[in-house]
Amino acid sequence: MPDRPLQRICYVEDDDDIQRIARLALERVGKMEVSIIGDPRLALDGILAFKPDLVLLDWMMPVMDGPTLFRRMRETDGLREMPVVFITAKASPRELDELRGMGAAGVLSKPFSPKDLPEQLRAIWRTLP
Amino acid sequence: MTSGSAAPVDLAPTRKASARTEDVSGRADPQRVLADRVDQLYSQMPLGMSAHLLIGGIATYELWDERTRDLVLFWWGLVLLVTAARAVLYFGYRASASKLVEAAQWMRWLAISALAGGVTWGFAGAVFFPSHTDEQQVFLAFLLAGITSAGIPAYAASWPMFAMYAGVIVLPFTYVLANFGNRLFTEIAVLVPIFYLINVGIAHRLNRVFLSGYRLRHAYDRLTEDHTRLNKQLEQQIEDLQEARQEVEASGRKLALFAERAPISVIEMDANSTILEMNPAAEHMLGYSALELIGRSALNTLFPADEATLTPEWWTQFVARKAPANRVRARCLRRDGLEVEVEFTITPLVNEAGDLVSIIAQCQDITQQLEAERLKKEFTSTLSHELRTPLTSIIGSLQLVNSGVVGDASGEISELAAVAERNAQRLLDLINDLLDIDKIESGKFTLQPETVRLDELVQESLVLNKSFADRFRVGLEVRGEVPDVRLHVDRKRLMQVMTNLLSNAAKFSPEGSAVEVGTRCIDGMVRVEICDRGPGIPDDFRSRIFTRFAQADSTTTRHKGGTGLGLAICKRLIELMNGRIGFDQRPGGGTTFHFELPVLAEVTAT
Repeated sequence: MPDRPLQRICYVEDDDDIQRIARLALERVGKMEVSIIGDPRLALDGILAFKPDLVLLDWMMPVMDGPTLFRRMRETDGLREMPVVFITAKASPRELDELRGMGAAGVLSKPFSPKDLPEQLRAIWRTLP
Repeated sequence: MTSGSAAPVDLAPTRKASARTEDVSGRADPQRVLADRVDQLYSQMPLGMSAHLLIGGIATYELWDERTRDLVLFWWGLVLLVTAARAVLYFGYRASASKLVEAAQWMRWLAISALAGGVTWGFAGAVFFPSHTDEQQVFLAFLLAGITSAGIPAYAASWPMFAMYAGVIVLPFTYVLANFGNRLFTEIAVLVPIFYLINVGIAHRLNRVFLSGYRLRHAYDRLTEDHTRLNKQLEQQIEDLQEARQEVEASGRKLALFAERAPISVIEMDANSTILEMNPAAEHMLGYSALELIGRSALNTLFPADEATLTPEWWTQFVARKAPANRVRARCLRRDGLEVEVEFTITPLVNEAGDLVSIIAQCQDITQQLEAERLKKEFTSTLSHELRTPLTSIIGSLQLVNSGVVGDASGEISELAAVAERNAQRLLDLINDLLDIDKIESGKFTLQPETVRLDELVQESLVLNKSFADRFRVGLEVRGEVPDVRLHVDRKRLMQVMTNLLSNAAKFSPEGSAVEVGTRCIDGMVRVEICDRGPGIPDDFRSRIFTRFAQADSTTTRHKGGTGLGLAICKRLIELMNGRIGFDQRPGGGTTFHFELPVLAEVTAT
């Protein structure tokens, strides 16, 4: 368990409405600092600039999907160790396992509950070394 | 099959029929032969009796004189009496129904009658010969000679009877002649027995001829019977064989029709994969005509060089194993160069000696099926994503509004937002349930089993469903002690089942009542019961309660929520976990839903 509380979240998500809800949930309910990145192609730079504690990554996005971005992060200096939580609207448990197998810290499914999202992330945060 | 039940042809009678006559006559039934002889003897009786009366009458007239009048009258009376008795015997025989069975008895009666006849003539010879004139003596000698020789044809069917008959005539006559004291008569007395013996000899030979004739007749009858029976047997067998042949032909035609009209490709090959025969479906699937492929190696012709499953090595092993191979998927090369995915069911035909006769491959082009499956999977996945994404925004927004995070909504706004959230949640439940059932039914559902403590599971399920039950003002309670056991189950999925059963029970329970959860172990299984005090399940709904989209009353969907898929999913999930699910009516009202799952191991108290 990391010695500091979970404070800074970077969320890569292409859907504007979900972006807004996630921001409200994390900022208002979770009292966290949030950076939303809508274009996955700009994500690597955005994350490096924002220096979040944890990255929340959408699974299905146009241009570049979550897993691809995840692999890119693992190849990028400064982002190799960054905890990543996938969030997906695809419900197949087999796919969720596949994502866990890739080395993600956790997997959440959509729709998520804005009330519970901060706590769910904190629970994952507490499982990290 | 009729041919199986037909008796094998018995050739024995035929063989005997071609043997020598003696053998043949030996086959005659002795009883029937005897009866025939008796019949022959009796048939001579009317003539014999008539002759007896006629000759007796003439003799009486001729021998009549004052001196011997009483004796002649007595004799004539004797002739009449014997003839009458013989007539009675004759008509008795004619009227008898037991000529065959009692032939020997009739023969004995006849012998007595012959003896009596003979005695009358013997009497005449012995008594009248010495007392009459020379002319009358000549008459008597002539008469006795005639009457004796007439016995030969009359008694030809039984030479002993003739010997007896003639004996009682000749013996007293010979005695009288011998004692007459006349040289001529003495000489005749010597000759008479010789004639007698000659006559008996002739009768004996005649008798043999008769006998053999009768025997042949009966043997012939029997042979004819045998022949008729054999013919009938043969006819029956030929009929059976024809019937069997027709059946074989019919089943052959049926089989040919099956293969010809079947939508599944059928290819027959030998052990070297040389194609022997194929049906039109196979021609269609592969784009070759049967004539082009028959005689060619299936392995070399039908599969691309880089085919990985149906390789020559696989084939060699298959031929060695001689065991059917099911659902072997391989790529096939059509005549036009296109590759198709084909599913094979390959069956070796093995004879009784265990030798491989041929190999039948039934196959189906599943290229389109695989493509359809891929499309369906893609569609389901897309549908899932495209429906959930907007729902994420809808439910998220409404939750934020309802939780007051973005400011207080008052009065009707808050109420309407709650309605919207609840219904959006229902939509999400439906999507999740639909995806679940689709996955389970397409066989693509995999469980993630782990070891779970039953008591923890029950407690967790109560905690998770408490808020839902609170909405209906229904309590959730554990009844009694939870057995200290572990299960090897998919925790999330079992929780889904518990949630489903608990929320159903809460929904239908009267306000203020409690849903009870009972647990107990039975024979290595743990039984979990969820009992409510609801209205019970309507009779007409019981049989389809675990089917999809089953809800007792469509209005409940609107009032209580639910997709109608929950119990169908529960049943499939429990069965996937090697358990069973059911329900009972509760005494005193309400319903108990229960499921049983195998216990992993007892937790030993240390």
